[in-house]
Amino acid sequence: MLKAKVILVALGAALAVPQALAGATPEEDRKETVEYFKQMFPDVPFEEFVNGQYALNDDRRKQWESMQDFPPYEFAVAEGQEMFETPFANGKTYASCFENGGIGIRQNYPYFDTEKNEVITLELAINRCREANGEEPLKWKKGAIASISAYMASTSQGKPINIKVPDDPDALAAYQDGKEFYYSRRGQLNFSCASCHVQNPGKWIRADFLSPTVGQPANFPVHRAKWGELGTLHRRFAGCNNNVRADPLPAQSEEYRNLEYFLTYMSNGLPVVGPATRP
Amino acid sequence: MKKPLLAIGISLALSVPLAAQAGPKEDFQEVYSKAQSTHQDAGTFQWTITGDRLKAAKSAADNGDYEKAIAMADEALKLAEESVAQRKQQKEAWRHVAIGN
Repeated sequence: MLKAKVILVALGAALAVPQALAGATPEEDRKETVEYFKQMFPDVPFEEFVNGQYALNDDRRKQWESMQDFPPYEFAVAEGQEMFETPFANGKTYASCFENGGIGIRQNYPYFDTEKNEVITLELAINRCREANGEEPLKWKKGAIASISAYMASTSQGKPINIKVPDDPDALAAYQDGKEFYYSRRGQLNFSCASCHVQNPGKWIRADFLSPTVGQPANFPVHRAKWGELGTLHRRFAGCNNNVRADPLPAQSEEYRNLEYFLTYMSNGLPVVGPATRP
Repeated sequence: MKKPLLAIGISLALSVPLAAQAGPKEDFQEVYSKAQSTHQDAGTFQWTITGDRLKAAKSAADNGDYEKAIAMADEALKLAEESVAQRKQQKEAWRHVAIGN
């Protein structure tokens, strides 16, 4: 009788351990996520996921390709470059705040700052750079900040996204918070980010064609036809929340930065293609 | 000697029901403040429509239309309660659908 109990306990423990370890690390999460989408879209080359809906819908792709001769964000990128290179009142420029003078670094953002214990997005770093140099911060969602961010992204085109979650409990907590946000249903319509972009990519939701999770942040900032201008990733987060009748959170809030951290980590290895266009 | 005491007693007895009887303004304020605080309890799970109803309730009350104000505040309270329930439910439910959990 005792032997039987011992065997049962051991069996239970053996079954429970793999369950507890499943998805225990961000890298395991990412691998499982990539595998999930590869199985969902076996004919789509992995690198094509950065093109979102254009990788999944031929009609949308043709429209998009026809726009690429004269992309609507070109002027904004040129303005962004000019702003990036124009000295602040103290004579310094944005280049003084970033590694490699801010050129070709988009793929490393967002990162977790283990001293400040927070996720640093590119837009946050741009505004902190301004404040450190005695300038007023820019508004977060569009306009100058989107143009500067777009210019910086353009200098990283083709570089593989390389987000790191350091061996630090706070960094892991930030990643987990972002993951929880992504999978939690919100709003009166009771949708999570995952309801659309994990469970239903490749399908229509009213007039919108849903893109998959992997590759999504690779093309930001984006010029949306709906906006008629460039916008940041947090502008898109707020729009998605609003669509499901959930109160949007402030751009660059801790919640949205953690969400960006998780989401961008899922795209590790895919190339930066931003800025880009979306309907 | 007894007359003043009787008068005080009667006036007290008459004033109790008057004090207990709240008007529509007080009824509105009670349900509105409950709806507001429940909406706050939803934290990052607040619904846009709850805020819309709260604004409509406030606007109706400012215009003296307490019947509409109370109806809007009642709706806001129900919506806020649903959003709080969603918040509580999602605390664990997200894990069941997340890849890697």
